[in-house]
Amino acid sequence: MDLFEPTRQAFALLVTGDAKLWGIIWVSLWVAVLAIAVTAPVAIAGGWALAKLKFAGRRAIVVLMQALLSFPTVVIGLVIYLLLSRRGPLGVFELLFTPWAIMLGYIVIALPILIVFTVSAVQGADPRIYETARSLGARPLRAALTTLWEVRFAVMAGIVNAFGRVVSEVGCALMVGGNIAGLTRNIPTAIALETAKGEFAQGIALGMVLVVLAIGINVMLAWLQGRGGLE
Amino acid sequence: MRAPLLRMSGLHKRFGTRVLFDGAELALEAGHGYVLSGANGCGKTTLLRMIAGLEASLHGTLEFRAQPATTARYPEAWRREIVYVHQQPYLFHTTTEKNLEYGLARRGVPPVERQARVREALEWAGLADRSDVPPHKLSGGEAQRAALARAKLLNPALLLLDEPTANLDGNARKQVLDLVTALCIDDHTVLIASHDPEIMRLAILDRLTLAERRIVVE
Repeated sequence: MDLFEPTRQAFALLVTGDAKLWGIIWVSLWVAVLAIAVTAPVAIAGGWALAKLKFAGRRAIVVLMQALLSFPTVVIGLVIYLLLSRRGPLGVFELLFTPWAIMLGYIVIALPILIVFTVSAVQGADPRIYETARSLGARPLRAALTTLWEVRFAVMAGIVNAFGRVVSEVGCALMVGGNIAGLTRNIPTAIALETAKGEFAQGIALGMVLVVLAIGINVMLAWLQGRGGLE
Repeated sequence: MRAPLLRMSGLHKRFGTRVLFDGAELALEAGHGYVLSGANGCGKTTLLRMIAGLEASLHGTLEFRAQPATTARYPEAWRREIVYVHQQPYLFHTTTEKNLEYGLARRGVPPVERQARVREALEWAGLADRSDVPPHKLSGGEAQRAALARAKLLNPALLLLDEPTANLDGNARKQVLDLVTALCIDDHTVLIASHDPEIMRLAILDRLTLAERRIVVE
C-alpha cells in the first residue's frame, strides 16, 4: 500500500484548515478537557481522603479504583448506554448520542486514574510537609492543599494520564456518542470510521494530531517539573 | 507565683510494648531556654512532637498558659503559638522568601508587612542573598537557618527545636549554633532537644534530661 500519498493528503488537510477535520479535533478536545476539569477537583479531593483519612471501607474503595483502571472502556460504554437509553433510568435526560454522554463516559474512565494517582502521590509525600504546614499555623484544609501543591507534579502526571486515556478512547465514545458527524464524531471514532472506509488521509491526519497532543502534553509536564526543581 | 507557660504531667507514651514515658512531668517558664538531652531513642523528639500537637495520642495532662488540652483534641489556637522545627526541616518547593512568608500569611499578616518582616528575618539568618533560591539549592546549614528564621519571625510563645545542629559540621554548624544562641538570649521560650555538647554547655539554657522514662531537671 502507498503510504506517501495519504500522508501528503493528511498534511494538506491539516495545513489548509479543513473544517470537517478541525471540527472533529474540536469535539475531541472540548469534551475531554471539560471532562477532566469536572473530574479532577472531585477525584483529587477523594484521593486525598482515601490516602489520609481512616474510615471503614477505605481499603476496599482503593482496590476498586485500582480494578477500574483496567476496566474495558467498551463495558463502561455499555453501562452508560443502558443508563442513558430511552428506557434506562436516566433516559428522560435524552443524553444518549450527544457529547454529554461521551463526557459522562470520560468522567467514569478518568475518575479512578486521577484518584489512584492522587492516593499514590499523597501516600508517598514526605509527612513533614503536612506537619510543617500545621506547625506554622495552617489549618487542616490549608495543610492538605499545601501537601497537594508539594506533590503537584505527581498529581499532574495523573491528569496527563487521564487526559491521554480519554482523548484516545474509542469504545465508549463510539457506543454512547454514536459517531455522528459534526456532533459526536471525535478523533478516535473518526480514525476508526475513515480507516474502515479506506480513507486513510483523514485517519493519518487525526492520528498525527493525537501523537502531537500526547508528546506536547508530556513535554509540558517535563518542563514544569524542571521549573519546579525536580531533576 | 506565676503559672508556667507549659506544663505536662502524668505523661505516658508507649510504642507497642516499648514505654517511652511513664508519669513524666515537665514545666517550662516563659522567657527561659531549655535543652533536653538523653540517649538516642529515649523519646526527645516524641516529647517535642507531643507538645507541638503532632502526635496522634497524648496520655497525660498538657497545659499551655494554664489551659488544658484534652487527649482527643489539641487546641487549634496553640498552633499559632507553638512552633516546631524538625531535625531535618522541610522547606516547601518555592523560594526561601516564600517559605518564610508561609506562617505569616496563615496569620493574616498583610503582604507589605510580610515582606518587611521576611527581609528582616533573612538578614538575621544571613540569607539575604538567598531569598529567591529554591530549597534544593540551599546547603544543609542554609536550610536549617531558613527554617529557624521561618519559625522565629512568627514570634512564637514557645519554639521547639529538634536537634538543630545534627548532620551539620564546621562553619554550617557554627552559624546555626549562633542563631540558636541568639534566639535563647532574645527572651524567646525555647526547648531544644540536642546531644550537641556546645548547646548543652550554653549557660543561658536550663538542662533537662530524659532518663528512666521521666524528665529530670538538672
